[in-house]
Amino acid sequence: MTPDHSRLLNALGLIAINTLLVLAFIDQIWFRDLPCPLCILQRAAFVAAGFGLALNLLFGARPSHYGVTILGAVAGAVIAGRQVLIHIVPGTGSYGNPIFGLHLYTWALIAFGVMVIGTAIMLLFDRQFQGELLRPRMDIWALMSLTIFAAVIVANIFSTLLLCGVGFCPDNPTDYLIFRDNLSVTSG
Amino acid sequence: MMTLPFLLFACGLAAAWTRRRETALGFWAAGVLVLLVLFKVHVTEVLNIAL
Repeated sequence: MTPDHSRLLNALGLIAINTLLVLAFIDQIWFRDLPCPLCILQRAAFVAAGFGLALNLLFGARPSHYGVTILGAVAGAVIAGRQVLIHIVPGTGSYGNPIFGLHLYTWALIAFGVMVIGTAIMLLFDRQFQGELLRPRMDIWALMSLTIFAAVIVANIFSTLLLCGVGFCPDNPTDYLIFRDNLSVTSG
Repeated sequence: MMTLPFLLFACGLAAAWTRRRETALGFWAAGVLVLLVLFKVHVTEVLNIAL
């Protein structure tokens, strides 16, 4: 695999992560399925994993960048796995609406597993690490995926701030805390 | 508080985009650390399962 192929695959991987995070926003805004604290942490773990792919696009492919992706994905899998275990026994309830028969945290656990396997497969191809450029060429795929990644991170900052304020999030959020607090201040 | 990991990752991405790789990795590591601390804080329910 040449560095060019590697760059393209890293860009596509980052686009896949961006897509997952945008779909989570669509679920949140369109279907009013507000994210729980663990759901927000899983989003952050997707960003942590995507960070390694972003480093590959900005600095060229390095094993350490893939390590960043694997560590981020493992952190996310731990968080998603914990949430799956909370609801795994029938009759113990669930959080949010299922999509194609599985809840978002279950899809997240699967996605984190796929990311670990995919990244491990990418590490098998040594040629991508040869002829490293200090400043790799920024093609349209890389630029697009990085720009959307940055936008999705900023969107998550604002969304989490609206949902939880500056403190911790409620376990089962029913509304945007910052609006509720502001309304109570106004009415009080 | 919950925005902190996203803020740190955003700072890391900004550092990476401006060619400061070590700083970017530092922000990423801090972000993951905060992420794990927040996870620990939010794990309040005891799992009712037998493994």
